[in-house]
Amino acid sequence: MGRLLPLFVIAFLVYLWFRSRRGASAGTRSASPSALSEGAFALGFLPESAQNTERARRDAELDALSASVRAGEWEPAARAVAAAGRNWERRSEIVGEVAGVAAKDDAWLTAWETARPDDPDAAVVRAKSTVFLAWEVRGGARADSTSREQFEGFDRVLRRSRAEIERAKALNPEDPTPWITEVWAALGLGYSHEAMRELWAELTARAPHHYAAHYSALQYWCEKWRGSEALAWEFVEPAIAAAPPGTLLPALRLVLWYEHHDDDASEADYREAGLTSYVDAVLADIAMAPPTHLRLAEVRHLLAYFLVRQKRHAEALEQFRMVDGHVEALPWRRYTDPAAAYCAFRDTAVRKAR
Amino acid sequence: MGVFLRASRALLLLAGFYLLCLLVLGVFAGTALAVHHWAPGVAALKIDFILALLALPVVRASFFLRPPQDDGQDGLRVSKASQPELWAVVRQAAEAAGTRAPDEIRLTGAVNAAVSEDARMLGLTPGRRRLRLGVPLLAGLTRAQLMAVLGHEFGHYGNADTRLSAITWRGRLAVTRTVRAYHEQADRRVDKERTRQEKKAVKAVAKGRKAKAVDTSGAGFGHRRTAKVFVAYAKFYLRSSQSVARRQELAADRVSVRIAGRDAAASALRETAALDAAHAFYLRTYATAGLAAGLMPPRGQFYGGLARLLAEPGRQEELAGLRAEPPREETSPYDAHPPTAERIRLIEALPDDGRGDPASSGPAMALLREPERVLGELEDVTLTAESLAMRRVDWPELLHLGRRAECAAGAEPLREAVRQVLGGDATLRALLDAADGGALWRVADALPKSEEASRASGRAAREFLRPLLRSGLAELVILELVDAGLARWEMSWSDGARLDLSDDYGDRLNEALEAAVADTPDTRPLRLLLPRALHPATF
Repeated sequence: MGRLLPLFVIAFLVYLWFRSRRGASAGTRSASPSALSEGAFALGFLPESAQNTERARRDAELDALSASVRAGEWEPAARAVAAAGRNWERRSEIVGEVAGVAAKDDAWLTAWETARPDDPDAAVVRAKSTVFLAWEVRGGARADSTSREQFEGFDRVLRRSRAEIERAKALNPEDPTPWITEVWAALGLGYSHEAMRELWAELTARAPHHYAAHYSALQYWCEKWRGSEALAWEFVEPAIAAAPPGTLLPALRLVLWYEHHDDDASEADYREAGLTSYVDAVLADIAMAPPTHLRLAEVRHLLAYFLVRQKRHAEALEQFRMVDGHVEALPWRRYTDPAAAYCAFRDTAVRKAR
Repeated sequence: MGVFLRASRALLLLAGFYLLCLLVLGVFAGTALAVHHWAPGVAALKIDFILALLALPVVRASFFLRPPQDDGQDGLRVSKASQPELWAVVRQAAEAAGTRAPDEIRLTGAVNAAVSEDARMLGLTPGRRRLRLGVPLLAGLTRAQLMAVLGHEFGHYGNADTRLSAITWRGRLAVTRTVRAYHEQADRRVDKERTRQEKKAVKAVAKGRKAKAVDTSGAGFGHRRTAKVFVAYAKFYLRSSQSVARRQELAADRVSVRIAGRDAAASALRETAALDAAHAFYLRTYATAGLAAGLMPPRGQFYGGLARLLAEPGRQEELAGLRAEPPREETSPYDAHPPTAERIRLIEALPDDGRGDPASSGPAMALLREPERVLGELEDVTLTAESLAMRRVDWPELLHLGRRAECAAGAEPLREAVRQVLGGDATLRALLDAADGGALWRVADALPKSEEASRASGRAAREFLRPLLRSGLAELVILELVDAGLARWEMSWSDGARLDLSDDYGDRLNEALEAAVADTPDTRPLRLLLPRALHPATF
């Protein structure tokens, strides 16, 4: 028995390695990784190490903002949020970027608040940073490996965020951003379905087809948070039906499907007619979306994933070409190594599309 | 498989257990002989000594069926002459169950009743019979319910089941006890029955397993190995005889119903389950509340206070809730008892026997003559010397001083952090001054942290520390108030111990604490709530 032990350990390690590769290696059995990468490089794709895991697309302005707030300067952030004006998609993106930094160190934000008390832009960043902070305290692990102390801190900080959210709403009643922030508080604190619907009505009155808002609310309605698959569909379908073409909202169906089925889907499940029609609907919608749509890259990432799963490699390759280099998007962000997962799927598409 | 076959199999397995004992002893003896043959002298004597140490628990625990914790010395022995009423009821129950009365009654402090026997000859011939009766049962049950409990216990010894099954039952008892003798090494699951009873609070005062179990730790590795063999076999045996054991429990329940009536039997089970919870709560909240301050309740009250809690009108709703919701889960895979809820269901499904309301029989405690004296003597034999040496104070004083001591202990980590970072005598004032000087979060960083908290950085790290800082600070403030005579823990049987701060003061204190542990601390509101600000003339 004692002599067999190392064998068991090795077998177990091999099993773990296999498991970690399972998702990423869809269809990569036949060729060696280096050969794949060569093909990918020939097409101008970047190696794994050159993939940016911070965002879903290139954005020089956000990079600069992030660097300046890290350096303790608040003025560029204040100017950028103000410049976004009523472009709510852009506003929530900038707020999210700088609030993420403030969740770790908020000295620059405090300076902003001191310099301009009652600045609605600072208020909305403050609220968002506190919600981020709550998630930081909770940690990203599943509920069963999250400690009681972490849960209590999560709850306490989220409760504190509510006052800040209300303050941001009061300072700029037209702004949907604090309402979107509240969706995450609702998800964490477990708002009742009724309270969530009221919140949603207020939010959509301000920004009816905001992609990030819909993505957030869909998380709330998912089974793993506060809803169920049926409730998630009840949320998604009317939202898509009400949206004009080019808003990217049809991609919500793919998010929904991913959240409820991806973990234990078989190869056939991905090719089933319903899912194929959802993918086609997204393809049709991106064709009508303005190329400047801020969430386009994010949607292309998700689309590319499903296209590979459906063995539509040429179509997938088209999407990969347009997003290569930045991989902070569903589904890659759910993997422990997002860049590796992305590259594995991308290289599958490269090889099979030929 | 019929009962007979099942019981025979269990008997065979039991025989196997003793065979294993013999085998182990034989190996030891053989080794000793061999050693003497090959290496006589001092070394051989040493080995003899080690082997004897290893063999001792086998001999004591299993072969003679006299495991050390069953030496009959636990609990308070009550004589027929001193407690004739209690003895009469016990005899009546045994007689009705068709078995002989015990030779000895011992009162204990646990929510439990058990009949045991010093059986000889591998448990096949009867020996001295002993009833252990927990006084919490006397405090919580009526006479009829006590009869039901006794009926169940004697039911195991009665003729209600086949003779072979009875041997199985005794076998299980013997095996379980043997396993318990190896408690330190044994798998916790086997021992759940025992550990469950030894709730944390009781462990602190009652003479726990330390005094009773064999100290095997000195014997080291070899000893643990030996223990493992027995424990493994015991588990196997317990599992194999499970179905027989279950039937016997249900049969014993039927004896209980026959003797005490359906309603008394069912309500006794509900009441015992409720008592289990109530007693644990009582120990935690009342009886051991003064330990932190080195205090004990008045003599006799350590066990006597439970009755006052049970009689309190303000607790009736909770107690009714406990009775209505008996535990549904199995307590352990080796426990012979089906879940209490299941046993109650089976009993309550029986037709009404018209024996009526068990409450009319009066409290079981009335069976005890001079209860105060008896409960005092029970303390002498069940509590540790340390706790018996503690000062005795009345309940209100006990809870107040106990809570004060707990409060001081709770504030100690923060005090220690202050000492570490600031030096000096770590007073509340020193901490508040440091907060004003911008050193609060440096102090907080010296608090003991969880793994997650020490991994966190930036604002998240602060969020982990904030509740620790806040509660430590609150405790320091409360200590100041209490020591200045401005606050006190008020004790009641309905509500434990409650700090008598006004609602208004409590709200202001919460806000002030919040402000004091904010990212930018503001200690002014808190300073306004301290004794010196409240009564400038006095302090």
